[in-house]
Amino acid sequence: MRKMLAAVSRVLSGAAQKPASRVLVASRNFANDATFEIKKCDLHRLEEGPPVTTVLTREDGLKYYRMMQTVRRMELKADQLYKQKIIRGFCHLCDGQEACCVGLEAGINPTDHLITAYRAHGFTFTRGLSVREILAELTGRRGGCAKGKGGSMHMYAKNFYGGNGIVGAQVPLGAGIALACKYNGKDEVCLTLYGDGAANQGQIFEAYNMAALWKLPCIFICENNRYGMGTSVERAAASTDYYKRGDFIPGLRVDGMDILCVREATRFAAAHCRSGKGPILMELQTYRYHGHSMSDPGVSYRTREEIQEVRSKSDPIMLLKDRMVNNNLASVEELKEIDVEVRKEIEDAAQFATADPEPPLEELGYHIYSSDPPFEVRGANQWIKFKSVS
Amino acid sequence: MELSSLLTRRRVGMAAAASTAGRLLRLGAVRAEGHCRRLRRAGLERGFLQPTSAGKDAAQKRHVAHFTFQPDRESQEHGQTQKMNLFQAVTSALDNSLAKDPTAVIFGEDVAFGGVFRCTVGLRDKYGKDRVFNTPLCEQGIVGFGIGIAVTGATAIAEIQFADYIFPAFDQIVNEAAKYRYRSGDLFNCGSLTIRSPWGCVGHGGLYHSQCPEAFFAHCPGIKVVIPRSPFQAKGLLLSCIEDKNPCIFFEPKILYRAAVEQVPVEPYTIPLSQAEVIQEGSDITLVAWGTQVHVIREVALMAREKLGVSCEIIDLRTIIPWDVDTVCKSVIKTGRLLISHEAPLTGGFASEISSTVQMLHTRRNPIHFFWEDCYLKLFSHLYHGYG
Repeated sequence: MRKMLAAVSRVLSGAAQKPASRVLVASRNFANDATFEIKKCDLHRLEEGPPVTTVLTREDGLKYYRMMQTVRRMELKADQLYKQKIIRGFCHLCDGQEACCVGLEAGINPTDHLITAYRAHGFTFTRGLSVREILAELTGRRGGCAKGKGGSMHMYAKNFYGGNGIVGAQVPLGAGIALACKYNGKDEVCLTLYGDGAANQGQIFEAYNMAALWKLPCIFICENNRYGMGTSVERAAASTDYYKRGDFIPGLRVDGMDILCVREATRFAAAHCRSGKGPILMELQTYRYHGHSMSDPGVSYRTREEIQEVRSKSDPIMLLKDRMVNNNLASVEELKEIDVEVRKEIEDAAQFATADPEPPLEELGYHIYSSDPPFEVRGANQWIKFKSVS
Repeated sequence: MELSSLLTRRRVGMAAAASTAGRLLRLGAVRAEGHCRRLRRAGLERGFLQPTSAGKDAAQKRHVAHFTFQPDRESQEHGQTQKMNLFQAVTSALDNSLAKDPTAVIFGEDVAFGGVFRCTVGLRDKYGKDRVFNTPLCEQGIVGFGIGIAVTGATAIAEIQFADYIFPAFDQIVNEAAKYRYRSGDLFNCGSLTIRSPWGCVGHGGLYHSQCPEAFFAHCPGIKVVIPRSPFQAKGLLLSCIEDKNPCIFFEPKILYRAAVEQVPVEPYTIPLSQAEVIQEGSDITLVAWGTQVHVIREVALMAREKLGVSCEIIDLRTIIPWDVDTVCKSVIKTGRLLISHEAPLTGGFASEISSTVQMLHTRRNPIHFFWEDCYLKLFSHLYHGYG
């Protein structure tokens, strides 16, 4: 290691035109891939679970690292913008849960479908939107993915159905999307996410029944971050084994802080659904560093020590970074460079999100109905009229 | 901010008053003449109260959620008073209820630590975890469970965290709670159920933290729906709801939780349900509103008096169903004009019920006038709906 660093510094001091990153790569041999052991998943009504070892290629590792770091920095930037009152309304951040969104995406195809609740910024990114569009949506500007009219809780992308405000309401929707997948016969699956709080909503059990009855290719995913707003899972649920709550639906409990574990489990679950066996339930055990939303400090129902402990022992980005560095898949400097690039990308996006104009007032009434020709909508009093075009 | 071209609440009020005046001119009926002439002399020209286009100075002002809370004069009738805001008044009412009624229990999401709006602060410590407890996240379950408690005779005070989330419980309220007494021939009832829920726009609530669903429930006989305008009203009305022998829904305007501060009696007291309050007497027009909108209407009345010389009678409806038809009609008979304003959407909003009832009853109540057109012009229940 010391020899490597010495070599690197010699080269750097001597380097003239070549950019630093290329010099680093040239001067050091990385492994192409490495095999890792991952935690065994608890199983419910399943003979076998996902594999306990997995191969991570350098390319994938860097990709996941960059994506997780982007989500992390994007959420922290959103926090900052909210405190500056540039973002208003509601804002639910998912820092700490990056392994879930990036890991899930790694286990499925872009043609698969995903629907989740309101903690959706990470998923919006992993499903293909740019940070610019996401931050601009948070600040309510034209460049936002929902044209500035949706905000934090209502972001959508291709094959990503949001972004839903009412707790648990998205789960029957997900079952419906899965039905469409089955009907269309293109071998697609639908990932239907909800939280530990939502797991106690009645409509979720209705969706379980329909999905199992009709063998829908639906992966129900409970993102268990231990707290439903301010209520810990022990105080809300008679059974905190959320992976078993599907009863007749097979389930697995996954370490949601380990991206490789999430990826393997997702691949396993997707294969299960694609083979026509019907729905499956995944519980991702994860953690959020922020409070429920920006108006929740997040320390009145849990201790700072607990948050600190998770940060220091189970942080998903740290776990991936350690794995990659210790197995010669990447160097610390290389990852630091990615950090710098990500920071720049986020800064640029934040600049855009702050400077972009708001949607024009004329569009306030658009898209209420699908209608041709456009019709008039009354505003807050009889002289305010908006045209509703759709 | 491009939304700045929206009228401010002030202008809305003015515009509303102007529209009424505008129609007066058109109808030209006997009673109107005196008013018409006065208004013409005041230099009222068509369109002077129209919204001006994008005022850049209005960039950061709240437009659709503007109001100024106006406290009522301190009541001397109920003993010692204390300065309280709306959520403290609610806590006080709940405290009184739990003290008086040993069967009373409070439950809902996050009520144990005090609630997301601090309405139940201190109650669990005072009365125990058996009487103030959290439920999981399941509105249908919460209300169904509350109905069950009430049917056994205990007093159930359920909280739905936001009125926007009450819809999973809609079936339980409409099909179970409202019809229990009727379908069992009075053998059973869930009259000791009260559902409390934060209601109304707050400025940053968006789609799911701002709704006013009173009109959905107005369509259902068997329940009562009550909306206070102030801390003093809230405590008295909530205590009435809890004591009332019918299932009640009590909507609390969330924007007033902190913004409304008044002197509120410490001891329990009740304000009768299904009684509207005439909070300001007037002679030219009746203005009806409820909840936060009452304060908007008060400002409107003030402006109407100062700028147009119009004397407004203001009625706070208080109970949405069953509503106080007599008070409103009596007022309209006196003034001849009615304007109803509410936050909820216009179509199917409760203003339509009020306006059609007033129109219908006006014709029936006055025995002298037999013909519809004759009645309409002579009595001129002149109706205008304003919607926030």
